[in-house]
Amino acid sequence: MKIRFWGTRGSFAMSGREFLRYGGNTTSVELVNAAGQRLLIDLGTGATELGKQLMAGEFGKGQGTLPILLSHTHLDHIQGLPFFTPFFIKGNQIRILGAAPSMTSLESTLQNQLAPHYSPLNGLENLAAGVSIDTITPGETITLPGFEVRTAAVPHGSMWTTAFRITADGKTVTYLSDVEYASVDEPLEVAVELARDADLLIHDAMHADHDYDLRRGWGHSPARAGVIVAERAGAKKLALFHHSPDATDEMIDEVVARTAARTSVPVFAAAEGEYLEI
Amino acid sequence: MQITFWGVRGSYPVPGAATVRYGGQTSCVEARSASGETVIVDAGTGLRALGNKLLRAATAPGHYHILLSHVHWDHIQGLPFFSPVYVAGTRISIYGLLTAADELHQVIGGITRHEFFPMALESVPAQFEFHEVNPGIEFEVGSFRVMPIALNHPFGSVGYRLDCDGTAWAYISDTAPFDQVLHKQHFLKGPEPLSQVDRSALSVMREALIQKLAGVDTVVYDTHFTPDEYERFPHYGHSTPDQALEVCVAAKVRRLVLYHHAPSHSDEQMDRIAAEYLAKGALVGIEVLTSFEGMTLPIGAATDAGAKPVDRPPGGAGAGGREEAGKGPS
Ligand SMILES: [Zn+2]
Ligand SMILES: [Zn+2]
Ligand SMILES: [Zn+2]
Repeated sequence: MKIRFWGTRGSFAMSGREFLRYGGNTTSVELVNAAGQRLLIDLGTGATELGKQLMAGEFGKGQGTLPILLSHTHLDHIQGLPFFTPFFIKGNQIRILGAAPSMTSLESTLQNQLAPHYSPLNGLENLAAGVSIDTITPGETITLPGFEVRTAAVPHGSMWTTAFRITADGKTVTYLSDVEYASVDEPLEVAVELARDADLLIHDAMHADHDYDLRRGWGHSPARAGVIVAERAGAKKLALFHHSPDATDEMIDEVVARTAARTSVPVFAAAEGEYLEI
Repeated sequence: MQITFWGVRGSYPVPGAATVRYGGQTSCVEARSASGETVIVDAGTGLRALGNKLLRAATAPGHYHILLSHVHWDHIQGLPFFSPVYVAGTRISIYGLLTAADELHQVIGGITRHEFFPMALESVPAQFEFHEVNPGIEFEVGSFRVMPIALNHPFGSVGYRLDCDGTAWAYISDTAPFDQVLHKQHFLKGPEPLSQVDRSALSVMREALIQKLAGVDTVVYDTHFTPDEYERFPHYGHSTPDQALEVCVAAKVRRLVLYHHAPSHSDEQMDRIAAEYLAKGALVGIEVLTSFEGMTLPIGAATDAGAKPVDRPPGGAGAGGREEAGKGPS
């Protein structure tokens, strides 16, 4: 299985020279299995560039199929939806899977994003591609072409996000973004289980450890939270993810160095760029 | 009066190596009077860095005025990241086009529903006020006189003429030209045939725009598309520099600033567009500049020859130093 980070930034897309190495686009991660089947997690601004590149293949001919998992519908995770080009080609089949936000449905939330005052698209029905919205119940296991996905609800401030454990070709990637545990030292058992023996754990690392006290309760983790989950779960590698919009490349370098010094789990910061072999 | 560009991009923010010089943040311009009063036009992602600057400079909670052209995401997305929102005692007055100010309140509040953002505008420390604007009906914001002007964009949009300190500039974005397509309150799959009524609606809009721009020193204009991009997407609601230039010639303005750059336009492409239209403008006696993040222009005065989209200092537009971490759940 291969992985490519198209967007690694949390909350807000950052442009400028200080954000070039790790990238300024908001969250979007692509997984490709050995058979060439694809799965996308989250639709932040990073998805727009992937969308353009996909047009060179079957998506440009209206023959593409793509499942997209949404961790939740905060804007930094769906901001790229109206600009993901495969949606505009008739014949493409795109399936969006995510949990319903509290008190509303996933479909009406996405409809709201495209409501006429906010977007000239004026609703999902104007996307030319075939789009289906599937509500998942966190905890269930979903079988997608070429991928098996276990899901779990994890706390994110006053709400819940969906975390994913994705297995293909005998390899496993766990996506735990936008999560904050009641205690960093005692991460939720369900999160540890989802990351059990994973080949790669992608974990929310919005805050540097020394900044965390000021931002406790905002729904995001300090870098060391991912280390604790990875160590307990026996994950083989840890990617720090959902970087703060205030974190320049140099600041992220520092966080990686400090985090790596405290654990034997190999650690890196997720960066926009090339395909990585899992 | 002077204006500073905090976001010059249309549609969505585009980080990356290809946009470091012109900038990747979406629509936001700050107007500042000689006495230091500020009016903000549009609340795209450029608003975040502007908010951090204003908050650093503030000695007490401020009263901020934000004029909205319309409420497409690229024009309002910065609002939840405007750090003064999280300071108690702050007042934020928002002006926009909608049938009722009540509805504007709901639309703006809607971007911070729990599904989209962790904190609702209703519960932030700042106090919001909403004001409806009507094209052709002038109002005052401090010592600025503000004239809303109807534009041609899906579901409606307004431009603004701002007069202050004996000079004037105008913000004309987002708008399509006034010939091929009339934007109404429905989704356009492509250009629709124009009726006689549509044609006259377009020409009324164009005439009113030109009349309101008379005597304006600087016009900031939606020039999202190159001419061949426009040919492919005439129903998207945006203009080309040629169409902007044509309006500016008719209104006899001194200076046109290209704005709302397509997200796909790289710095190199923007350099080519800037050079091409600087030359085209010179032929008709109009100075054509291309906006970039951090550009400051004195209104009613000559352009500083050094104003080029060079590598900006760390900290984003005009900050001149590292940005402090914003307040709030960013
Ligand atoms: Zn997020
Ligand atoms: Zn726009
Ligand atoms: Zn628009």
